[in-house]
Amino acid sequence: MALKKDGLDLSVELGPLKLKNPVIAASGTFGYGEEYAGIIPLKSLGALITKGLSLEPRKGNPPPRVAETASGMLNAIGLENVGLEVFLREKMPFLRKAKCSVLVNIFGCVEEEYAEMARRLSDVEGIAGLEANISCPNVKAGGTIFATEAKLVFQVISKIRQATSSFLMVKLSPNVGDIAKIAVAAEEAGADAISLINSLTGMAIDIKTRTPILANITGGLSGPAIKPIGLRMVWQVAQAVHIPVVGIGGITTPEDALEYLIAGAAAIQVGSAHFIDPRASLKIIDGIQVYLRANDLSSVSSLVGSLKVG
Amino acid sequence: MNLYPKEVKAKILLHRRISADYFRLRLLCPEIARLAHPGQFVMVRVNELKDPFLRRPFSFSQIFLPQEKKKKPMDEGGVEICYQVVGRGTSLMTHHLEGHRIDLLGPLGRGFWTEEGRTRAILVGGGIGVAPLLSWAQELRGIRQRKKKPGKNPEAKTEVLFLVGGKSKEKVLGIPECRKMDLEPLVATEDGSLGIKGMATDLLERELLVGQYDSTLLYACGPMRMLARVAQMAYQFTVPCQVLLESRMACGVGACLGCTVKVREEDSQKAERRDGSSSTSEEAAPEIEGECGVETRKGGGMPVISEAPPFRYARACKEGPVFDTRKIFWE
Repeated sequence: MALKKDGLDLSVELGPLKLKNPVIAASGTFGYGEEYAGIIPLKSLGALITKGLSLEPRKGNPPPRVAETASGMLNAIGLENVGLEVFLREKMPFLRKAKCSVLVNIFGCVEEEYAEMARRLSDVEGIAGLEANISCPNVKAGGTIFATEAKLVFQVISKIRQATSSFLMVKLSPNVGDIAKIAVAAEEAGADAISLINSLTGMAIDIKTRTPILANITGGLSGPAIKPIGLRMVWQVAQAVHIPVVGIGGITTPEDALEYLIAGAAAIQVGSAHFIDPRASLKIIDGIQVYLRANDLSSVSSLVGSLKVG
Repeated sequence: MNLYPKEVKAKILLHRRISADYFRLRLLCPEIARLAHPGQFVMVRVNELKDPFLRRPFSFSQIFLPQEKKKKPMDEGGVEICYQVVGRGTSLMTHHLEGHRIDLLGPLGRGFWTEEGRTRAILVGGGIGVAPLLSWAQELRGIRQRKKKPGKNPEAKTEVLFLVGGKSKEKVLGIPECRKMDLEPLVATEDGSLGIKGMATDLLERELLVGQYDSTLLYACGPMRMLARVAQMAYQFTVPCQVLLESRMACGVGACLGCTVKVREEDSQKAERRDGSSSTSEEAAPEIEGECGVETRKGGGMPVISEAPPFRYARACKEGPVFDTRKIFWE
């Protein structure tokens, strides 16, 4: 199926999960899929990841929630989402028909919430797996972000692993000292794959009014501005773990995606690029094929981690 | 024909400075024009580079439907937008040359609508906010070239009063366009250089104080402070009012949840009843009166005082950019 006429194999394997190509629409930038339906053919994507989901609906932060920055943007949406129940009732029927692998991004305030989400999403038809967003404060650990401490990461991912046998990818935050150590904790707890990076915490100020542009004061920086950081972290993590790594951060062109693959990413996610170009993912898929042909490579996997150093 | 927004590289047919920092862009894009409605918008990509990163939203000041007989270039179908230079993105936009192409995504959002029995429309525009009201005035006057005969357009019967405000006469937009529609706009400038000295809302207050307004519907676009004042007057005179809100946007298609507006939660009671028990429309929606948060439930007896009326964040790009002012939380 994935084999093109000329023998080009675009498919990738993320542990137990097989995708038709390595390009995934990143959580939070692609809504629940339906927002981009009709603008682009969803079936062309390797997979799509839905907006971060919690047990209960969340209203999110007051506006302004976004601010443009140099080659990027800040967002402080505040994890607004419809909640598990509405998601299953109102969003899944569309997603089941989308002919695209669907991963559901989940988050919680305590370990038990993650586990509960995982359990209830486990046997839902049309869900290929989960991505755990652990860049949220752990209410029981004094508000420490799960993703910033290896011990918290191990505990929460172990809890999720016990609750589900579904494909489980863990999305890491770049706002840490030693990213490899965090990734190893997730692997040891039973993650099937690691995705990184989530956005970097930043801020912007209106100098006329001397007020923060975002109502939340700080927000997550994304876009081309963060690509070198994402790339560096993917390279570090790919060397530290044995499970597949999915690269995220500032990917807007096929060249960006290829850099990530060469650095060791088995697949990549396209995020804010969709805002400026809804067809960004499709162009990246095409561009990867062109590159593979031009370099006499027959598969994406032959490119992964092919970085030559020294 | 599918109704999804289109991404097109539209040819710039006209790009002119209107006054100091106002510009007019006419863009050839039959695919978008065919679907476009006044109050909706397009997301414009400033250039093909990665910086500035985001697209900019602009509402239509004119919609040119594709014509069978193509006498003028815009007869192919296209849209016009007007913009004010306010930052780096819009100042880069001024460099685009006629004949070049620019990337558009649209039409997006929900535009203006009419309400039965409201045969008189008062349009209140401030600054560059006059632009989207021009296309709506055209529609209401039945001038926008439709496929059906203009005389059969019921909206054409609407009487239109256009109130235009600006800081000074250089910042007053739309007078020639109004005159082309046989409308004589009333003008207010803050420095008194044109029309009365004051704001567009002063003109509105005069109208509402002297006139009959049972059949009136207000439409407004402009700075947030002006819109809040218009909404207040609409409430005071119990006239329905729609406002086109400007907000910081990223995707424009409802995916990123970046452009939200705080609105009243209409079905908060329904939301509480997820157990599946029946809910009739009569008891579903609490009527919230005034700013103090007093809710009177129909048939429910005593009013319930709630400190925080239920709210939610609505996506301006999907549920708006045009909102009924009664829905919005004015803070």
